[in-house]
Amino acid sequence: MQQFCKILKFELKNYFKNKIFVGVTVFLVVLIAVVMFFPRIIATDTGDTQDDSANLSVMLVKTDDVTQADMVQKTFAAFFTEYDVQTTTMDVDEIKDKILSSEAECAFVMTSPTAYTYYVNNLSMYDTNTQVANEVLQQIYQVSAMINAGMTAEQATDVMNIQISSEVQNLGKNQIENFFYTYIMIFALYMVILLYGQMVATNVATEKSSRAMEVLITSAKPTSMMFGKVIASCLAGLIQLVAVFGSALVFYNINKSYWDDNEIIDSLFNIPPELLGYMLLFFVLGFLIYAFMFGAVGSTASKLEDINTSVMPITLMFVIGFVVVMTSMGSGNVDNTLVKVCSYIPFTSPMAMFTRIAMSTVPCYEIVISVAVLIGSAVGIGVLSAKIYRVGVLLYGTPPKITAVIKAVWKA
Amino acid sequence: MVLEFKNIEKSFGEKKVLTGVSFKAEGGKAFGLLGRNGAGKTTSIRILMNVFPANNGEVLIDGQPIDYDKIGIGYLPEERGLYPKKKIIEQLKYFAELKGMGSKDAVKSIDYWLERLEMTEYRNKRLDTLSKGNQQKIQLITALAHDPDIVILDEPFSGLDPVNAMLLKDVVKEQISKGKIVLFSSHQMSYIEEFCDSIAILNNGTVALQGDLRDIKRDYPRDRLIVRTENPDAVLAEFGSACTATDNGALIIQLASADEKKSVMTHIIENYDIDEVKVFEPSLNDIFVQYTGDAAKEG
Repeated sequence: MQQFCKILKFELKNYFKNKIFVGVTVFLVVLIAVVMFFPRIIATDTGDTQDDSANLSVMLVKTDDVTQADMVQKTFAAFFTEYDVQTTTMDVDEIKDKILSSEAECAFVMTSPTAYTYYVNNLSMYDTNTQVANEVLQQIYQVSAMINAGMTAEQATDVMNIQISSEVQNLGKNQIENFFYTYIMIFALYMVILLYGQMVATNVATEKSSRAMEVLITSAKPTSMMFGKVIASCLAGLIQLVAVFGSALVFYNINKSYWDDNEIIDSLFNIPPELLGYMLLFFVLGFLIYAFMFGAVGSTASKLEDINTSVMPITLMFVIGFVVVMTSMGSGNVDNTLVKVCSYIPFTSPMAMFTRIAMSTVPCYEIVISVAVLIGSAVGIGVLSAKIYRVGVLLYGTPPKITAVIKAVWKA
Repeated sequence: MVLEFKNIEKSFGEKKVLTGVSFKAEGGKAFGLLGRNGAGKTTSIRILMNVFPANNGEVLIDGQPIDYDKIGIGYLPEERGLYPKKKIIEQLKYFAELKGMGSKDAVKSIDYWLERLEMTEYRNKRLDTLSKGNQQKIQLITALAHDPDIVILDEPFSGLDPVNAMLLKDVVKEQISKGKIVLFSSHQMSYIEEFCDSIAILNNGTVALQGDLRDIKRDYPRDRLIVRTENPDAVLAEFGSACTATDNGALIIQLASADEKKSVMTHIIENYDIDEVKVFEPSLNDIFVQYTGDAAKEG
């Protein structure tokens, strides 16, 4: 136990002294800060322009029907608040010149109450002016039709603006709300496991190739070595995640008022505590299982170059689980048979079971079984990988086949 | 303190590496574990260090199975290597702590050894900035810092210059005088002859020869004389086929029996201009080659 603590401390210190580890963490925190402060920066920016209405771009509206010109101008102005809507009597060529010389940004030239030509210099990818104009003109047409049929203007407007009140009573999980943080959690799990798994494998292989292993293996028990290394990397991963998500939370709260209407962001920072608990549980267990396997594989490699090919099967297994879960999430049905099966297999259950818990209603016993299998496997794989480690670190030369290693472990 | 290997057997898969290895090593004396490459030396050392268990047999200290919580072992592996990118003091402290030392004691002991091996100036340097010989001295500290009861040195002198070799010799002698069991494994027979009182020669997983080195040498029949003279031709002419010249110019005379020793010696001294004449004792190198096969001239 004492040895385990020493190894844990030493390995953890290595992470904090690792420039890449510190660099990536700082980079992510800065990136999140930029994202979180973005609405505030934008708000102060546009705040200035709003004070000065002369800076609004000009939208020209030309209509032949003089009786409607006033109404059209008013309605357009009401809908296109970001434009200075002006009616004009210029001919089409003059309007084009104005647009080309940037005096006006765009123009609607009506040829009848239900037809127009839209002039714009560069049609932006996000230009929705024609859709809005269609709606506006439709409304004008409908209102005038109603007035012509004998309604007063107020009555017609009331009919057009009738409000429907509705309420949703969700008896299970809200998939839309849960989707985003489930997505982020699965993605974080994916990134962290692959990244840190690779780090554990490289770490073991480096000790082996530098022959520091000769002294290590004669100084400490393989189980202490393996568990010390893997748990240190798990803690380092968690600390990194807490740093990133913690700073996200802090920055969000600083800028909360600027994010007021964003449901996605809001749902991200309002994860139910029990779900956060599950997230932590599945994260830690999933991490351990994979890190142990990466460590065992690292111990069989003699050179760093061998690692990439050796870890391939583990990575592949993990990626398959990831794809299954992501596809099911995308389809909206997270309770399909494949995901259900995956939620009991320890290699995929951290992602599959968490997704099911987050996005649908899972019976309690299923969760208990899945977690029990996961804990049992984590301990079992930990012990097995320590045994592989003991055999593996003393083998130099070509990496042995995994079956040969297991055979050797079995006999020892 | 007596370390005893008793009928140790070990196989890896189908391959038998050790078949009934037995030997004894006493405290306060150096013990030489010899053998050709692949003879089973490293496997024996790893069994002693509990890296893996033996299939059969026991490792005993004073007749009791070895208790690894009480008996400290220091090991200088043949395959040298530590953490190249780490500060020397950091890694030495880590290894000492893994062997059960407290943090303060570890630093104190490491500082003593850095001083003793004239390495104090490198205390806060990274290992890969040191020369090979200096790296080896650092590695030696990992074997000695925790003041082990058993010190295992695998090829300790390889890569050291004569001054450093002298320094190491002093350290080894000091360890022996402290009553520790010092286990040497080397192909440099001259060092083994200099330090080791007793030896075991492993060959193909068995002990081919073991015992006190002086006794082993004495057990050889004392029926050969070694002669150095300015005029070897005259001696060669008299003794004919019984006399052979060695590479270094000395002559070896094979006697009919050891009883003739005195008379032949007197005869040579009286009749020739002689620099030296003495009874020929085989060197450890000769013994090693004899017991491990003709191709074993790596030493």
